[in-house]
Amino acid sequence: MRGTMRRLIVWSLLAATMAFGVAACGSDDNSSSSSSTPASSTSAAAPAQPGKGKPPVTIGTKDFTEEFILGELYKGALEAKGYTVNLKKNIGATEIIDTALTSHKIDAYPEYTGESVATVAKRNEPAKTADEEYQLAKEFYEGRGQTVSEPTPFEDVDAIAAPKAYAQKHGLTTMEDLKKLGSFSLGARPEFKNRQQGLAGMKKVYGITKAQFRQLALGVQYQAMDTGKIDTANVFTTDAQLASGKYTVLKDPKGVFGFQNVSFVIDKNKLAQLGGDQFMAVINSVNKLLTTDAMTSMNKAVATDKQDEAAVAKQFLQANKLT
Amino acid sequence: MGAYEGGLSMHSIIDAFQFIGDNLHFMLTKTLEHLALSGAAIAVALVIAIPLGVTLGHLHKGSFLAINASNIGRALPSLAIISIGIGILGIGFINVMVAMVVLAVPPMLTNAYVAVDGVDPDAVEAARAVGMSPGQVLWTVEIPLAVPLMFAGIRTGAVYVVATATLAAIAGGGGLGDVIVNQASYGTAGVIAGALMVTALAFLVEGLFAVIQRLLTPRALRHEEGPAELLAPVVEAT
Amino acid sequence: MLAQLALPIAQGGGPVIPTFNRGSDCVRENRQFCWDWFSSHWSSTFQPRLIEHIELTAIAVGIGFVIAFVAALAAYRWDWAVNPATAVFALLYTIPSLAFFQLMVPFTGLTRLSAEIALVSYTLLILFRNMLTGLREVPPDALEAAQAMGLTRRQTLWRVELPLALPAIMAGIRIATVTTISLATVAAFIGVGGLGEPIFNAIQDGFKTQFIAAGVLAVLLALVTDALLVVLQRVLSPWARTRAA
Repeated sequence: MRGTMRRLIVWSLLAATMAFGVAACGSDDNSSSSSSTPASSTSAAAPAQPGKGKPPVTIGTKDFTEEFILGELYKGALEAKGYTVNLKKNIGATEIIDTALTSHKIDAYPEYTGESVATVAKRNEPAKTADEEYQLAKEFYEGRGQTVSEPTPFEDVDAIAAPKAYAQKHGLTTMEDLKKLGSFSLGARPEFKNRQQGLAGMKKVYGITKAQFRQLALGVQYQAMDTGKIDTANVFTTDAQLASGKYTVLKDPKGVFGFQNVSFVIDKNKLAQLGGDQFMAVINSVNKLLTTDAMTSMNKAVATDKQDEAAVAKQFLQANKLT
Repeated sequence: MGAYEGGLSMHSIIDAFQFIGDNLHFMLTKTLEHLALSGAAIAVALVIAIPLGVTLGHLHKGSFLAINASNIGRALPSLAIISIGIGILGIGFINVMVAMVVLAVPPMLTNAYVAVDGVDPDAVEAARAVGMSPGQVLWTVEIPLAVPLMFAGIRTGAVYVVATATLAAIAGGGGLGDVIVNQASYGTAGVIAGALMVTALAFLVEGLFAVIQRLLTPRALRHEEGPAELLAPVVEAT
Repeated sequence: MLAQLALPIAQGGGPVIPTFNRGSDCVRENRQFCWDWFSSHWSSTFQPRLIEHIELTAIAVGIGFVIAFVAALAAYRWDWAVNPATAVFALLYTIPSLAFFQLMVPFTGLTRLSAEIALVSYTLLILFRNMLTGLREVPPDALEAAQAMGLTRRQTLWRVELPLALPAIMAGIRIATVTTISLATVAAFIGVGGLGEPIFNAIQDGFKTQFIAAGVLAVLLALVTDALLVVLQRVLSPWARTRAA
């Protein structure tokens, strides 16, 4: 009796192990996000492959959808030209990912020009045009050992939004109107609280002192608004959720949130190893395609229709003949 | 900031204490949030687990459920339970609390059951022989004798809740986790400060239940507990 | 497959914006669980994360076992080593996981190494205590018999003490493994993958299916592993009496 029991147990153990083995062997392609292989063949008329023979480049992205898509766009375009890309997705907020850049844990990442100036460089000089903002960012990075690509046409700026009903009830159309409210709650990602392009700046520039800060993980603010847990929230102007019409985005006439076009920030030495201008040309070829419409439609595909960022990026690149 | 930016050293630990000192009001608020969330979960878990475990143990029924509850409960990945909770209940205080109750009940339940179930049968018989009703036996004999083992489960569950509440930040639950996930704003000093406070809180809660246990243990059964027992989890050998 | 209709652009020279796949109604309305989305994303998303998770766990428990084993043998031999070892391992154990992972990054980067250092540290207390307790609870009779038979110290260790300590050691491995599976979900916070990654990603847009799928997979992984280890334990030490936890 005991022997039979033992046998039964050993067989079930073997069966389970085989099941695990099948599951493990089932995925031979290593699709882990920390490494990748270059595309073996691209379009029929394969253009020059400037990336061949160059060292791998590690690109990081911040902790939200748009950045994920940008990362995949750069990766796809670079791999089509023979480069080897390690994509480190979802590293964290500006402060974290910038530290990763300066400590060489990553070589490059897409950054917003206003962020570069206000949060990374910690300069309080508000720029008057998008171009001025870009120049300030560029100047800062060049002085620190990095360099930047051309900026994208689109911008994605912080904004304050409220559910439509709440905005109508309190007559909110611009940030100035927030002063009319007594105490109100503002849900935002953790780093927003202390930033000049955040709550601290709102206090200083608009005199909004009665906001109750509610820390939320990035992305949660829409659900929190929908369920009435917060009155207002910090949003990004290209968020897919804003297209639903359920929220009123408040105007920012005094420009406290700056100009926020995207440029690709990369370590100078690494750029040199990668072939300098040739490498940047690929990045710029992607950036110039990113209009507001292009970005928002990709954001929507990922955030609303739950498509894979990699698939969406690939489709976009193919449609524009970059892969 | 400075030479040790991003590094870990005694300097960082000192920085962390400095951080607490500089942000005392904020850290205390966060600690109280953490305590409130943990306390709520522990309270609900106690209400569910202890009466159930004690009753089953008294009746010597449901051993399979009661014993395997802790085996299964111990295996549940805490973030995964929170994740399922978000999927069903959405983000916020309630969701995280429910997840933590799910994680805290098993050790409390199992220990309560085993403690009452395993009370020396001679003591029970003697009490019956003297003419006590089952209810009196339960309250005057079984429960007091069961206190040590029962509280071992309560303390395990309570400390687990305090530790898991750190993850609440991700689900909008607040507490010291808010500081630990926000390295962007608070730096390494903040992360360490948050971690230190959570650990201190865990010890505090542990100590609190140890005191309660001592008060409830009949004098004859009391014995000194060393720090090693307070610190480390109970070694299980199934 | 993927449609690539070009939307006409009003001003010349703009990008071509393809029409992306539309999500199913289930997905767009964020219903409780969208099986279609889950099954179409199994091999691209969930299976790789599951495998990563298993890898993270196996490496951590493997390395932790070796370290704890050496420490336990040392503590068994030299009594004075017990308290310092326990203190160090206990200290590591009380560090909240979110903090531990983040604090490793400045040293070892956003890599698996950072995650593994933390995960290994968490296994040490449990493995060490169980191994030591198992060794110490070897019945004195067995040791006397070994001595009477003329076994050397090393032979006694490998042929008598360790086999008798096996149930406790296996119990420790079981608890350590299951704990590691739980902690490995948090490791995704520093970007090393595993089943925590879909969870952290799902926070972006509150996608219920992703929360539930990743959570359930992690729970299943933990429970199945636990059950397998119980079976393994019984197979390896049939002579041991199983006591209730």
